[in-house]
Amino acid sequence: MKLRKYFIVTRISLQNSLAYRSSAIGGLLFFSLFIFVFFHLWRAIYKGGEVTGYSLTQMIWYLCITELVVFGCRSGVFSQMNDDVKSGSIAYQLNRPYHYVFFQFFNALGNMVFNLVIYGILAIILGLIMAGPIPGFRFANLPFALISVVLGIVINFFFLMTLGLTAFRLEENFAFYLIYQKLVFMLGMFIPVEFLPRWLQSIALYLPFSYVAWAPARLVVAFSWDLFWQVIPMQLVWVIVSILMSLGMYTYGVKGIQAHGG
Amino acid sequence: MAAIEVEGLCKVFRTRIKEEGLKASFRALARPAYKEVKAVDNISFTVEQGEILAFIGPNGAGKSTTIKMLTGILHPTSGKVSVLGMGPATQRRKLSYRIGTVFGQKSQLWFHLPPIDSFALLGAIYDMDKAALKKRIDELTERFEIGDLLKTPVRKLSLGQRIRCEVAASLLHSPDILFLDEPTIGLDVVVKHRIRELILQMNREQGTTIFLTSHDTSDMEQLCRRAIVIDQGRIILDVPVKKLKYDYMNRKIIAVRFTSEYKLSELKGITPEKSGRMGARLSVDTRVCSIEEAMRWLIAQGGVADITVEDPPMEDIIASIFEGGGRTLNGGR
Repeated sequence: MKLRKYFIVTRISLQNSLAYRSSAIGGLLFFSLFIFVFFHLWRAIYKGGEVTGYSLTQMIWYLCITELVVFGCRSGVFSQMNDDVKSGSIAYQLNRPYHYVFFQFFNALGNMVFNLVIYGILAIILGLIMAGPIPGFRFANLPFALISVVLGIVINFFFLMTLGLTAFRLEENFAFYLIYQKLVFMLGMFIPVEFLPRWLQSIALYLPFSYVAWAPARLVVAFSWDLFWQVIPMQLVWVIVSILMSLGMYTYGVKGIQAHGG
Repeated sequence: MAAIEVEGLCKVFRTRIKEEGLKASFRALARPAYKEVKAVDNISFTVEQGEILAFIGPNGAGKSTTIKMLTGILHPTSGKVSVLGMGPATQRRKLSYRIGTVFGQKSQLWFHLPPIDSFALLGAIYDMDKAALKKRIDELTERFEIGDLLKTPVRKLSLGQRIRCEVAASLLHSPDILFLDEPTIGLDVVVKHRIRELILQMNREQGTTIFLTSHDTSDMEQLCRRAIVIDQGRIILDVPVKKLKYDYMNRKIIAVRFTSEYKLSELKGITPEKSGRMGARLSVDTRVCSIEEAMRWLIAQGGVADITVEDPPMEDIIASIFEGGGRTLNGGR
């Protein structure tokens, strides 16, 4: 299989993001606003006393990282696919000599790289302004935590892809998206897993949702090798599962695609 | 050799029925009702290599659905399809190297980037090496006269300019068959003409088989020797364009406006459809009365302020095919 087309689509979609950068400004504002609101919320909560597992500084950075993961891979794969099926432009994408699922991944990758860089810079600036450096933070550990960030983004992408592919068969699939987003939000993005009741914690650690945002953010703000070796294998499992699910959904969906629009 | 062979092809869509009212909505929640729509209903035809075929019919007749089955995007409900000896649904990827598609209402170019970037990506998708791609782009650029457009972001191109780039893009990998789905929709007469010329040229020089859907009869008249007329998913006519023109497109509509009140004399072959105080719409049977005769006659009727000559819409032609009875119908009802 020739791989050049997959690299080129990443390059072209990165170029497209750069050409369309004005759209990023709205996202940056929203990102800042979101962090600003939750910064005040957490500060108010911490006034009532320290919360186990996270200092306020760590909590603010946790917030910045989870937001980064979710915004960073806000590639729009779900809504994009819905639009493509409904408008019928899917017809242009299906009859090409590539693997649709992987091509879409590399297509989104360009946009994700762009988002990661600009949101990453913003997250670091906001974190430094609102919380300052994390005491005891070691840069040597950061590359290992970043592995987890990347895996979290990949998991999120392929789950959204799986849900997006349901559009091939279903007229209305937005509910899946909402449920998924809320689960990622509640099981990590908004509230660290450590804050959940113990019974829910043990369930959450067997589900994929916390490995999207919680695991990478925890590794960035409080790195430990124990956690690293606990989290990375689980993330790898969910990467494989989510890829297999999207491939399965594609194979199933493409057989019964209901192409609307002309 | 046949490029496309279709036999007994059907496509049934299942759509949800939603009735009016809250009560019905709740009922639909518990037990959704579906209705089956036959978008394509048992059609058979063959297209030879190098042929230009017009596949025409009104909106919603099943044209696009057929194209989507021929290119492997939709799986047929039943029937046999063979394109270049391959099954489109099962060998989609292999087939895709040898066919090209243009959907007039959609774009395959990246909206914010100049076409040259999309071309580079398409070249990579079709595994073309850089030298071959460059040569092909140069060739198409010259032929389609898009040299100036290649480096302009697509969003700044006019529709006509964009469509020229779209057609060029779908020809990059030198496909054996080009599927054109409403390629001239929304274009003005001059640009339409230009696109048609380019399509004809491709067919003549490279022997590209062309499968064209349109609801514009002039597309068919200028491009094709054979036309298949489809309505409500069925083929109602499969004849040479000449015959179709003679039998069914023998009517022109003339709208005329006079400078003062007028009174029309009789002329064989002309029937007024609508007449007002200062103007009229006339239907001309061109077998009985040529357009030239009609014009001369009109000018003799009084001071003419304005004249437009139109083809009757596709819907009228199809209605007249049905009226024409079963004699000339192929597989009609």
